[in-house]
Amino acid sequence: METKRESELRLSFKVLFRNKSALVGTVLVLLYFIDAFVMQVYPKLFGITNPNSLVENFASPLPLPPSVLHPLGTTAYGIDLWSSILKAIRFDLAYTLAVVLSGAVIGVILGVISGFVGGALDEFLMRITDIVFSIPYLVLALAVGFVIGRTYTSMIFALALVWWPIYARYGRALTLSIKTLPYVDSARLYGMNGLKILFKHVVPNVLPPVFVQVSVDLGVIMPIFSTLSFIGFIPNANLPELGYLTTLGLNYLQSAPWAVIFPGAIITLFSLAANLMGEGLRDVFDPRRRSE
Amino acid sequence: MKLWQYIIRRLVILIPTIIGLTFIVFVLSHSGGTNLVLAEYLNPHLPASARQAEIQKLIQEFHLNQPVYIQYFYWLAAVLQGDLGYTNTPIYSGPVTHAIELFMPNTIMLSVLASIMVWLIGIPLGVWSAVRRDGVLDQSTRVGALTLYSMPVYLVAFSLVIIFGVYLRVLPFSGTANLLLVQNVSWYQGGISYPTHILIIDALLHGNYIVALSALEHLILPALSLALGSLAAFIRLLRSQMLDVLGQDFIRFVYSKGVPEKDIITIHARRNAIIVPLTNFVYLVAGLLGGVVVIESIFNIPGIGYWTTQALLNNDVGGIMGSTLIFGITLVIASLIIDILYALIDPRIRY
Repeated sequence: METKRESELRLSFKVLFRNKSALVGTVLVLLYFIDAFVMQVYPKLFGITNPNSLVENFASPLPLPPSVLHPLGTTAYGIDLWSSILKAIRFDLAYTLAVVLSGAVIGVILGVISGFVGGALDEFLMRITDIVFSIPYLVLALAVGFVIGRTYTSMIFALALVWWPIYARYGRALTLSIKTLPYVDSARLYGMNGLKILFKHVVPNVLPPVFVQVSVDLGVIMPIFSTLSFIGFIPNANLPELGYLTTLGLNYLQSAPWAVIFPGAIITLFSLAANLMGEGLRDVFDPRRRSE
Repeated sequence: MKLWQYIIRRLVILIPTIIGLTFIVFVLSHSGGTNLVLAEYLNPHLPASARQAEIQKLIQEFHLNQPVYIQYFYWLAAVLQGDLGYTNTPIYSGPVTHAIELFMPNTIMLSVLASIMVWLIGIPLGVWSAVRRDGVLDQSTRVGALTLYSMPVYLVAFSLVIIFGVYLRVLPFSGTANLLLVQNVSWYQGGISYPTHILIIDALLHGNYIVALSALEHLILPALSLALGSLAAFIRLLRSQMLDVLGQDFIRFVYSKGVPEKDIITIHARRNAIIVPLTNFVYLVAGLLGGVVVIESIFNIPGIGYWTTQALLNNDVGGIMGSTLIFGITLVIASLIIDILYALIDPRIRY
């Protein structure tokens, strides 16, 4: 049993690493996570003493080009970009994970129930999903901002609120397609009760594709989060966050383009890596691609 | 079921969707208390006693002493009579309906131009990257599309501004036209052109081709940034559909019949492959709607998106409700059109 599981795992890695771009994506995503971990546990490793705030240097407030002292240059009010980006990755990852995971959990639970039970409940839940689906995330984010204040927490809440319908639809579609498979029918004929079929056959088959979707969505949420920051949801001006770092450089777009390019590139790179990793993972979970 | 019955059924389903959407936003934006609504209508220069009387009058008028969900129905009744309330933002203050009338045309113009760009750029790229699979064009298209897909909208816009506006200096990147050209024009007042409010069309109507050209120049960068954001998904979808069609038996058959490759691609393959990306334009519309909010603020275009951002940042309840209604209706109608198109185009779909 143990050896079978081990060879399964080895096969999964083999499939993932056969795809070179997926390998690169996975390594990059891991690097982001490692950076976040170091910032959380022992920031001095990277020579950073205050991982929770940006350090301004009013002695030379204008953006400076990259140099030995500042590998990526500085942005407005003399903030060193390299160390701020290292700090910001931790915050952005945490926000992104919070949005995607809470959206996925709510959505998948509702979607699987809706698809599995069917009937009037299905119709009702899907109508609600449609309604929430048609709310533009910016509008909802602002409306939520009214109620619980414009903080990063309320932005997470707002984005999770608009993000679950995607998972609900996805989970429902997967459940519906699994429900009609012959082995589920035969399990039912054997007299297995509905709940047991749900947890033994449906849920384990729904989760892997959802996991792929989660990894792709990590790359979707981070740019959206930074867009919200860009439009002006900056509750705490001193928090290291990639979107906020980008906006700091906007006034110097013509004289100091690096102040916008570097934080922006870090967001884009993560999003790209998450996408590539997601595509690799899709192959891992696809039995047709495994057997090749 | 007949097609018209299906359409009517879909229309009936639309109504609860729009009511649900506006209800959620209404409750959220009004549960913060009555001060936001009062601040919108109260004259700040009134003395204290007159202000109290005014507040009482407003509470009566907007039923602010009732629970929020009852206030919603008063709002809904007013909307059905065409009264959307008032908006108060730095770029416009007055009735919401008038704001929509002023700002909507610009947004429509921008979105139409952007979708034309998506199709003009996306169709050839998507088709050829499928035909020449794994070739240089395919590889670079896929990398480019994925990178664009990964970039935040504002970063795409600023990259274009840096390249074309700052370094090459070939395209303007702020406002809707060169202000020197329009400062003494009778049909352009206070940043708004008449009668259609779309500067480029108005200029053509009045025969002022120099202004029209300037307006077109000012539209290129915003429309392109908007298009690039949605382009990636379009190309991806078209490519996979095209690969799907190219692998089918009838394509092999026409190849063996000796039909030239160009005809196979344009007549047999492309026509089949394009159905899904074209009908999926509801996602295009959704992408564009999300994009205009950011793009219009960056390029200073007085459109719905810019107005929405201003309303949001200034706690303008009337503006928020108005723009939610517009965004919701647009999305819902787009998804209705896609369903009807599907039913019309593909006879296999049962409704």
